[in-house]
Amino acid sequence: MTNLKTLFILGFFFIFSVTFLVGGADDVPSKEIKITPELKKEFPIKHHHTKVALSCVLCHENQGDNPKEFTTPGDEGCLSCHKTKQYLADRLKFMNPLHVNPHNSIHDGPNLFCDECHNEHKPSINMCSDCHEHDVKIWMKETP
Amino acid sequence: MKMKLVIFALIGIFVGLVISLITYEGIHRTAGEDFCVSCHEMRPMVSAYHNDVHGGVGKTGIKVSCVSCHLPQDNILNYIFTKAKNGVAEVGIHFLGNPDDIDWYEMRTHRKDFVYDQGCINCHTNFQSNANISKKGIKMHEHYMSLIDTDKRVGCASCHVEVGHKGLRSSLNYYKPEYEYYEGKLDEYKETAEKKLNEKDIGWFQ
Repeated sequence: MTNLKTLFILGFFFIFSVTFLVGGADDVPSKEIKITPELKKEFPIKHHHTKVALSCVLCHENQGDNPKEFTTPGDEGCLSCHKTKQYLADRLKFMNPLHVNPHNSIHDGPNLFCDECHNEHKPSINMCSDCHEHDVKIWMKETP
Repeated sequence: MKMKLVIFALIGIFVGLVISLITYEGIHRTAGEDFCVSCHEMRPMVSAYHNDVHGGVGKTGIKVSCVSCHLPQDNILNYIFTKAKNGVAEVGIHFLGNPDDIDWYEMRTHRKDFVYDQGCINCHTNFQSNANISKKGIKMHEHYMSLIDTDKRVGCASCHVEVGHKGLRSSLNYYKPEYEYYEGKLDEYKETAEKKLNEKDIGWFQ
């Protein structure tokens, strides 16, 4: 009798857990990706992201667990932490009077795509320097 | 003899209470920007703080004092000790050192060491479950919790970079530009900030 009861309870929990797992499939955390030295070398991340110990899947959400198949999270991904382009532009408002705010330039305003300048796994570029090659060096530091 | 003991005890209690009162008043009256800015080189920081919701510009007008975030809140002895230690160091720099040598931009990279998370959490008690926080925000707060007992521990201010001081980087640049090119070109912004600070009449020994 006791055995039957135990079996019944176990069965209940089993069904419950399976339902829960399937029901919450959207949000099942990706399998932990082991960050090996090779992976680090192939996909280095920026210092400011290393400092807060970001893992792959915090940016590459719902993209599985194979880093080689990850795609860019796009502006939406960046801004899920970095708020809005206007917010980023406002943070550099001291540059506005001299018209050198890269997040609010007289050409593009706060409307560029993040990855026009910022890259995560390779060096970033500075699009301003396409034309203002010499000035950019005194206007701002290297693109993070 | 017994009477003597009672009187002695009563005097003891009275003296103890007076000392407690003085300590309490002392700690509280020296907790705000008025006192701190007297010696602490922090006018640009106060200016940015006045633009922040933590500095009283929110619709409720609630203001968080300097020490709520910048002194350890976990135990009173640590609080008093850190306060005294910082106080001595700041007075030294203010009167004897050269405040112009302070590299504020470099200091900011250590922000998680002088913004005490417990101070944030004392008010933001439900930072792990608050429905007003985005899904990503909740996820990142889980990330924060997962690092707490590791050597990769981050602080609230690691991500919330200008928290408590809206426009801090700009404010610092008005006072002491981080790039040479800006030298002398942002003075009018510094003057505006200074004017606002003077209107508020901050500082004990002006």
